[in-house]
Amino acid sequence: MMKKRLFASCAVIALVASSLVAATSGAQAASREVTVWSPYQGGNLEMWNAAIKRIEAANPGLNVTSVGNIDMAKSLAAINAGNGPDISVSNGNGNLGWFCGTGAWQKLNTLIAGSNGINMKATFNAASVASSISNNVRCALPLYSEVFAFYYNKDLLAKAGFKNPPKTTTELLAYSQKLTTFNDDGSIKTAGFLPWAGYYGFDMDSMWLGQMFGAKWYGGDQKSAFSSDIRWAKAFNWQKDFIAKVYGDGNFEKGSKLLTKFVAARGGEWGTDHDFMTGRVAMKWDANWMAPMFCTGDDWTMADKCTAKVNFGITGFPVSPDNISAYGSGVVGQGQMGISKGSKNVKDAWIVMKALATDTKLAAAWDAANGAPSSLLAKAARPASYPDWYQPIYDVVSNPRTAYHTVKNTGEHLEESLVQNLMASWQAGDTSNIKTALSDLAQKVDQIVARNN
Amino acid sequence: MSITRDTAIAPFSKKGAIAPPRKKLKVPRLFIFLCLSPWLFGIIFFTAYPMISSFYQSFTKFNLIESPQWVGLDNFHRMFFEDDDFWKALKNTIWISAISIPLRICFAIFTAWVLTKPKRGSSIYRTIFFLPSMVPAVAGTMAFTYIFNPAYGPINKLLEAIGIKEPPFWFMDPNWSKWGLILLGLWGIGDTMIIFLAGLLDVPTSLYEAAELEGASGWQSFRYITLPLMTPVIFFSTVTGVIGSFQYFTQAYVASGQVNDYSHSMYFYATHIYFSAFKAYEMGYASALAWVLLVITLLCTLVILKTQKRWVHYPNGSLFK
Repeated sequence: MMKKRLFASCAVIALVASSLVAATSGAQAASREVTVWSPYQGGNLEMWNAAIKRIEAANPGLNVTSVGNIDMAKSLAAINAGNGPDISVSNGNGNLGWFCGTGAWQKLNTLIAGSNGINMKATFNAASVASSISNNVRCALPLYSEVFAFYYNKDLLAKAGFKNPPKTTTELLAYSQKLTTFNDDGSIKTAGFLPWAGYYGFDMDSMWLGQMFGAKWYGGDQKSAFSSDIRWAKAFNWQKDFIAKVYGDGNFEKGSKLLTKFVAARGGEWGTDHDFMTGRVAMKWDANWMAPMFCTGDDWTMADKCTAKVNFGITGFPVSPDNISAYGSGVVGQGQMGISKGSKNVKDAWIVMKALATDTKLAAAWDAANGAPSSLLAKAARPASYPDWYQPIYDVVSNPRTAYHTVKNTGEHLEESLVQNLMASWQAGDTSNIKTALSDLAQKVDQIVARNN
Repeated sequence: MSITRDTAIAPFSKKGAIAPPRKKLKVPRLFIFLCLSPWLFGIIFFTAYPMISSFYQSFTKFNLIESPQWVGLDNFHRMFFEDDDFWKALKNTIWISAISIPLRICFAIFTAWVLTKPKRGSSIYRTIFFLPSMVPAVAGTMAFTYIFNPAYGPINKLLEAIGIKEPPFWFMDPNWSKWGLILLGLWGIGDTMIIFLAGLLDVPTSLYEAAELEGASGWQSFRYITLPLMTPVIFFSTVTGVIGSFQYFTQAYVASGQVNDYSHSMYFYATHIYFSAFKAYEMGYASALAWVLLVITLLCTLVILKTQKRWVHYPNGSLFK
């Protein structure tokens, strides 16, 4: 009887113990859950999910849940509420300052330097390494690039006697003077180039203008450099001079009025009545993703031989004569991803994030589908499926002076909006003293950054 | 004969007996509560709680990520002494209120008066005039930015055709953009117009007939009969107009986005709240702005309410007297 009882007790203990082990291992398996939120949809989400499947296959026991079509505002709200994903993806750099500065995305320094870390400089291109840092905090890993370069109409330039695109801002002005034509009533018929905030450029024109002059957004002291870096004043003065000389016959006010009306009559951005396609403007700043439309019109497809009527070329931004070493560069932004504050599984989240950022298959597929160069050094070359004329986009990305401006925790694209507002106010003649205005702007940005820190 | 309770109830009583009290409906309290619960839920969770929460947040620094930090009156100090955009937004909002409310009222009275004239097909005309107010604000605004486009918009083409060499750039000119919004508001006057129309149709025709017999001119009839009798409607429109104009947002936001209004000529108080909350992610500051807006609106409404005795003429027995 005793033996039976003892046996029964042992059996019960063994059963309980095995259940506990099973439960613990089950809990361990459950804890290897990682959730990824991204803004992707359709084909992009499929590519993204395929990469996630590869990661799961390479890491048995790791279970990754991918949710697409989530914008950053939703991610932010969820992170704040404590039910955010482990990893979230931003389509661009604009939010980076905010996500790093507020701690919505965790600092990655320890993870990067750890045993399963990454040698950033040996893995990503220089622009991507620099632009995934904000407020001296690295909280993100870069994904694909978005490249802003200089587009020019080869036929119009040739007709005006120019064999090559302008390299300097001085040349740009001279080219524009020759390329700009007027109607009988004095209004602008065709324009050479428009250094104009709000001409197709959203909030980016000021960023591009700054890049041409090599102007810095923040100084070494981490303070706003709009006032201390004299290249900003130089850039704005060049803009005003350009408007006066090219469009106003020396009269800024006249040029400004004519341009306002010209811009008001611009064709739609997303179709073949775009000014660049109709020949209304000969040269412009634009993103790499506009190239397919300029090439094949409404089809938006890459082709070896472009079928749309504009015969165009792509190159780096013209630069100020004292910034000539930066010629060939442009502006490049990246998709960014970070690990959310409150992630319960940072270790696995890092495994997933690192794998996504360094997945060459994903990078190649993304590049092939979107013409968005990878931020990986290993995948810097143009995909074989892409036409030769698209090569300059890759040249711009590879240029060591290509960059995105430093972003701090001011809010969503707030620095860009503030500079853009000043640029617009200046071009409209509403701001009379640019030095004072830049000084006020710098003070305002510093105040915002200080308040948010 | 003096009226007593007995005589007052006499018609309802039989043989002088007091009428029985109305039978009290026996409805369980729980049922009443259940019927009220959707409204109660709404008022508690979607009005009261957010209001209390935003009142607390107005004294905090809150960026949606970190927990709110108590900063006392800092947000209010910043608003009044450091934030240029606050003053610009307030100035623009006061401007649009001061111009648009009187204009809307005058235009609505005029339109309503015109619509009382047709003998035939009046309902068709009324529908036509009311229709624009049913157009969604976004669609209406986009249509207006097209119509007023300085380069190809029909309005400027028309102005040029009649000899105006340099017509305004409307939404693209900081000096004219708000006038574009005013015209947009007047176009969608239908909702206010319909209230005035009801008021006008309510004026007894006998008063006009008497005035006509006395030899009053059309203007005199309007000045001394129509206008006084319309003052309750004008009062109502003014109060709702003030509340609405201080919350003016959609049209300005869409129009400024369409034309890249970097000069902030169409930057209104509600836009400032929106940008502070959802672009700068300063929820504490945005809450403070919202509470100041409530106070401003409340003060304006109180002033209008206080002055109504001097200019609002209620018909005898009006519930609103």
